[in-house]
Amino acid sequence: MKRTLAFVLVAVLSMTALVAVSAQQKPVTIVHWYWADNPSYSAQMQKIAADFNATNGKGITVVAQEYPWDGGAYSETLFRAVMGGGGPDTSSFKLTSTPLFTANNLLVNLDEFLAKWKDKDKIDSSLYDTMRKASGTKSVYVMPWNTQILYVYYRPSLFKKAGVSVPKTYAEFLEACKKLTMDTNGDGKTDVYGFGMRGAKGGQEPWGSFIWARGGNFDNLTTPQAIQGMQDFIDLYKNGYAPPTAPMDGFQEIIANFKSGKTAMTIHHIGSSIGMVDTFGDDVAAFAFPGGVGRWTSMGDTENVILKSSKNREAAFEWLAYLATGKGQEAWCVATGNVPVSKDVQQLPFFQNNRFMKVSIEGAPYAGIFPILDTTTEWISTIWPNTVAAALTGKISAAEAMKQLQVGLWGK
Amino acid sequence: MQRKRFSPWPYLLIAPALIVIFAVVFFPVLNAIGMSLQSYDLRRPSQIRFTGLANYAAAMRDPLFWQALLKTVMWVGVGVGMQFVFGFMLALLLNRKFLGRGIVRSISLIPWVTPGVLIGLMWRWIFDGNYGVLNDLLLRLGLIHDKIPFLAQQSTAFPSVILTIIWQGIPFFALMLLAGLQGIPEELYDAANVDGANAVQRFFLVTVPSLKNTIFVTTLLRIIWVANSVDVIFNLTEGGPAYSTQTLSVYVFNKGNTLNLGYASTMAILLALALALVAVPYLKTLFKAQEEAK
Repeated sequence: MKRTLAFVLVAVLSMTALVAVSAQQKPVTIVHWYWADNPSYSAQMQKIAADFNATNGKGITVVAQEYPWDGGAYSETLFRAVMGGGGPDTSSFKLTSTPLFTANNLLVNLDEFLAKWKDKDKIDSSLYDTMRKASGTKSVYVMPWNTQILYVYYRPSLFKKAGVSVPKTYAEFLEACKKLTMDTNGDGKTDVYGFGMRGAKGGQEPWGSFIWARGGNFDNLTTPQAIQGMQDFIDLYKNGYAPPTAPMDGFQEIIANFKSGKTAMTIHHIGSSIGMVDTFGDDVAAFAFPGGVGRWTSMGDTENVILKSSKNREAAFEWLAYLATGKGQEAWCVATGNVPVSKDVQQLPFFQNNRFMKVSIEGAPYAGIFPILDTTTEWISTIWPNTVAAALTGKISAAEAMKQLQVGLWGK
Repeated sequence: MQRKRFSPWPYLLIAPALIVIFAVVFFPVLNAIGMSLQSYDLRRPSQIRFTGLANYAAAMRDPLFWQALLKTVMWVGVGVGMQFVFGFMLALLLNRKFLGRGIVRSISLIPWVTPGVLIGLMWRWIFDGNYGVLNDLLLRLGLIHDKIPFLAQQSTAFPSVILTIIWQGIPFFALMLLAGLQGIPEELYDAANVDGANAVQRFFLVTVPSLKNTIFVTTLLRIIWVANSVDVIFNLTEGGPAYSTQTLSVYVFNKGNTLNLGYASTMAILLALALALVAVPYLKTLFKAQEEAK
């Protein structure tokens, strides 16, 4: 009898184990959406997905699908897809879109996953706090991935030619914009503009530094300090220290202008550093946007989320974890130069010895984000570029522009 | 008197077409009307509720709406008007016999068969203030001394997008009018010659009246298409700088993109009504002329 019982027990246990193993290894496909700034980053993401597929050992296959960033319209594309009943299991994400997605109940709450995740502490707890704050709840809905801190790229050779040293204060920065605007061939026309201004979508990030440098902030854009910051921005354009195309210049244009030598300085994050070095070698360097009365630079952030429509959330979290603290984190940040969120990856020599990473880290203490409101996406995509273009071209004054921006962002 | 027997066949045969039309035209229209009467903003889903005509009242108070409406009138008036004039000229040219006419006819169709998105991107580079070929050309010809940021200043951005849409639409008019020209009986011109009509008189007294219906239909179609077009402007300027190229359809698109679907639907309906105000008298005139001709 005992032998029979033991046999039955062993058989049941074996079958349970077999079922568990087969369930664990049941092939699962995760569709992941992402954007990439250039073809090389695109190839890198495909490689990361392929590596994950080959090594996860749990039968998870990630299909990485690329969608254009399109000056931020990516978030709206994702939103429409998910609201329409489609969309991916996981997606790259921007914190500013959190209210829109959580208000429509589209994101998976990650609290339970994080509670049992062994690598949770490899990411600074302040980042989780930022994620909670963005959702307006006590829960985390977005998984940290990497950050980008804006700083100023400059050409040392042009600085030397203009007799300018790296600005240490905001006033020196404005002066450098003036001095670096040069007629290099003596034909009476400007060949090099001091500052590569971004007036199209996305330009609010570098613009924010001007507002804070004069002592303003985003809580009230109509203070005299904030208006003065706007006036500085306008003056750079009106005085001819920025290209005449600035009101419509977006990411592609400011990078093209800098790389072609048309501008001596421009503001972007470390994601552009590899391309800059490819173009200029050692003749490109960076400095943190200098402080005036106040100091601020934009902390770009990129996270990943699991969409509520996903039927394979455990597998989806495995993939997100791989991107946050696994090999995917290192591979992506090394390839793109973005600042890793994993403390372990931050300590790697590549990041410790990178001159652009040093500037990013220097800017980190005063880096911030725009207020995350349900108006923010429209403010960024439509209101800011059109209002600033009106101000730059003299249609409205700095004070009028700031009033419109205040109403657009805060509603009053 | 024999009563006609009811036959369901005609209804059954047109039912598939009616169902499709209802699904892809009437249902979205009804849905848009419904949304226009609500505060349908997906950024604030908890606040979606019936608001009656509040969106329409808001549009009437919105200076951007009126600015966009004015831009739409200019966009359609100048754009379609110039397309017609140049299209007619091209049609008259292509109606003549000359060496290589077949090749010229094929080439002249290129702008029409090029997708709007591609046209927008292509002209964006042509107009580019730093590297654009138009600036280079004008500089080499000595017509300008400094490069012009065509799309970055309000005074030149709107003319630039209108120039683009004119370029795109000329072949459509040319093609349709050419077909009409080839249908005019030669006898009419012979009779006009016998009566001593000169070239201008032949054009206005024979050619134009003979093409009246074609002109009516093609112009109406282009007015509707151009008024509703988003692709060219969006890819050139996205409605900027400072809303200077934002037509009503682009404004609808931008609002829809920012998920304020209630307000976007309201403006879409107002645009449809504005187009109906043009189209209905236009069609009435056309049908009246056709009746008189019978």
